[in-house]
Amino acid sequence: MHLETRFDTTGWMRRLGKALATPFDPEDYLALFDARYSAREIRARVHRVRRESDRAVTLELAPNRLWKPHKAGQHVLVGVDMGGVRRQRCFSLSSAPTDPRPTITVKQHGTGGVSDHLVNHCREGDLLTLSPASGDFVMPEPAPERILFLTAGSGVTPVHSIVKSLLASNYGGHLIWAHFERSYDQWLLGEGLRGLALDERLDFRLVLTGDTPRPGDLAGRLDEHWLTEQVPDGASRTLFTCGPQGFLDTVIDWHQRCGRAPLFHERFQSTPVSGGDGGTVRFARSGGDIQAQGTQSLLEAAEAAGLRPQHGCRMGICHTCKCRVTRGRVRDLRSGASLELANQEIRICMHGADGDVELDI
Amino acid sequence: MNAKVEELDPIVFERGGTRLTRSQVEAFGREIDALREEIMNDLGEEDARYIRRLVKTQKGMELAGRGLLFLGILPPAWLAGTALLSVSKILENMEIGHNVMHAQWDWLNDPALDSSTYDWDNTCPAEQWKHSHNYMHHTFTNVVGKDRDVGYGIMRLSDDQPWNPLYLAQPVYNWVLAALFQWGVAFHDLEYEKLLKGEKSRAEYRTQRRKIMKKVRKQVLKDYLLFPALAGPFFPLVFAGNLSANLVRNLWAYMIIFCGHFTEHAEMFTEQDIIDESRGQWYLRQLLGSSNLEGGPLFHIMSGNLSHQIEHHLFPDMPSNRYAQAAPRVRAIAERYGLHYNTGRLGRQFGTVLKRIHRLALPGRRRANSAPM
Repeated sequence: MHLETRFDTTGWMRRLGKALATPFDPEDYLALFDARYSAREIRARVHRVRRESDRAVTLELAPNRLWKPHKAGQHVLVGVDMGGVRRQRCFSLSSAPTDPRPTITVKQHGTGGVSDHLVNHCREGDLLTLSPASGDFVMPEPAPERILFLTAGSGVTPVHSIVKSLLASNYGGHLIWAHFERSYDQWLLGEGLRGLALDERLDFRLVLTGDTPRPGDLAGRLDEHWLTEQVPDGASRTLFTCGPQGFLDTVIDWHQRCGRAPLFHERFQSTPVSGGDGGTVRFARSGGDIQAQGTQSLLEAAEAAGLRPQHGCRMGICHTCKCRVTRGRVRDLRSGASLELANQEIRICMHGADGDVELDI
Repeated sequence: MNAKVEELDPIVFERGGTRLTRSQVEAFGREIDALREEIMNDLGEEDARYIRRLVKTQKGMELAGRGLLFLGILPPAWLAGTALLSVSKILENMEIGHNVMHAQWDWLNDPALDSSTYDWDNTCPAEQWKHSHNYMHHTFTNVVGKDRDVGYGIMRLSDDQPWNPLYLAQPVYNWVLAALFQWGVAFHDLEYEKLLKGEKSRAEYRTQRRKIMKKVRKQVLKDYLLFPALAGPFFPLVFAGNLSANLVRNLWAYMIIFCGHFTEHAEMFTEQDIIDESRGQWYLRQLLGSSNLEGGPLFHIMSGNLSHQIEHHLFPDMPSNRYAQAAPRVRAIAERYGLHYNTGRLGRQFGTVLKRIHRLALPGRRRANSAPM
């Protein structure tokens, strides 16, 4: 997560500052006064915590100057220190790029991870780290005339950002948005959505799958019948969809059979990697992959694949072989512990594949 | 009967009257492993707070020190500024930089304290330090001919190094090395002697030298040109303050580091000793090749916890603030196996280092068997 520094690097003030602070950055000293200063990473202060429900919050963030406005629909990796350790998780930005502060909307999972921490322990003034915004779940230019949004659960967040920024522009088309939710108390960003729905260009429908709907809302479950009945021109609209796995499967399946316009979708959970001993080790930068034994170190696997990664002692002492695992499951060959990793560094001389692994070499 | 037992469980370690069989060495290794596991599993928020607070303190002291030096025309301000800058350089190099580059804080997952990107306020480039120190020195600790920290290619610190007349001068140039320690460290990984012996290509040597010079230029520019120049007419005062702070750091680091492996009872090893070395044997070598310094909590922090050299060598990637907790446990394990745990006050330990330097300047061996009983 190395970023271009925020100053013009040729600026003489910047160069003087760097020269005076070498081998550090001026920001490392400025951080004594405001912990958000960093030349390396986007750090944000939690400006406001808005409770969505007893199990969800929207965090309004005040990032440092390394933050570049996102495109509506994109996501960020949010880092938070838990028990001293920086843990990261991906969240869609729920704010429109034109909003004064970026926001993320987080729902508790009950698994003790980053989401739970943010919902239960995050206070105004806390410090978080952000990756630059990324993702392809964004509106093409120019935006299509007629668009259909189908969302469920937390899938509301990126679409909220997209719809809000479309309506804030001089968009002249027509939007239909059906959002599926089990109950009212789980509904995220409800107030904001009701506000957006006042716009004539948006036809918003809240569909309850559990609770009894209030006047104006609908009851039902997403299937082909519901779609043909409720959105007769749905098949000819550009489709944006985001939600849990099963929901997405239904939408994508319907689109494959009936859809006549492009489909954009955003998946929240990745498909789980295979478990067990050994697995496929992929090398992200050099390309190629190899089938590794469970007892083989990732270093040995890389060497077997013809790569020459940096290494030293081959016994876990010197850390020369440290390498980033983009994602996958590894086993500590010394302790036998199995670890699920995403974008973390390990010593490849003492870890083996425990499922599929992707290495940044 | 006895011969048979020996065959099944041969003696693999024999030094200073202590003999250990293979299974005993393995059991020793397992106990050390278990201790490591126990402490590493306990790492958490407290430890994170410790290192972050230390970084803040160090950066604050550095700013204050450099600020006071601008008022260096007032003698107390010059003295206080120099002292603060000296302490901040010591803390940054020893308790922060050295330990961060050992990957002790990688578990925080914080890019500011990550071993792969951290660089320290010192003329030696981080990348080369990690090779000569983390790999060469920590893997081959005290193996004469492999660990270049044994004499740094210019001193005779082990009986097993062949004597030559140049060593007669080492009691003198020892102090030159002490005063210029950061420069010694910077050029250490160049392995000039390997170039002479043809074991290193000229091209590789040049590339490495270029990298070192790049860092050297930045460090010199900062301490000896830019900060003094910012002081305008007080250029010489700031220059002198920075020079003094670097000198104080050099002398202090030299003294602590030499006490780590060259005290009287610190043992040396041969390349023969490490053939097919097991993890247990590797631990044994780390224990016997290192020596500790006794002192209070502040002394330990100021020494970068290298006062716990033994624990540092057993657990190079354990956060240094935990060595004090590991030390009595390691000592108890060592004593149970009849192994010497080398520790003492700074004055005494450094005295024995100087004795070694003077004795080995002369030809011959220190004595037939250097291990204590």
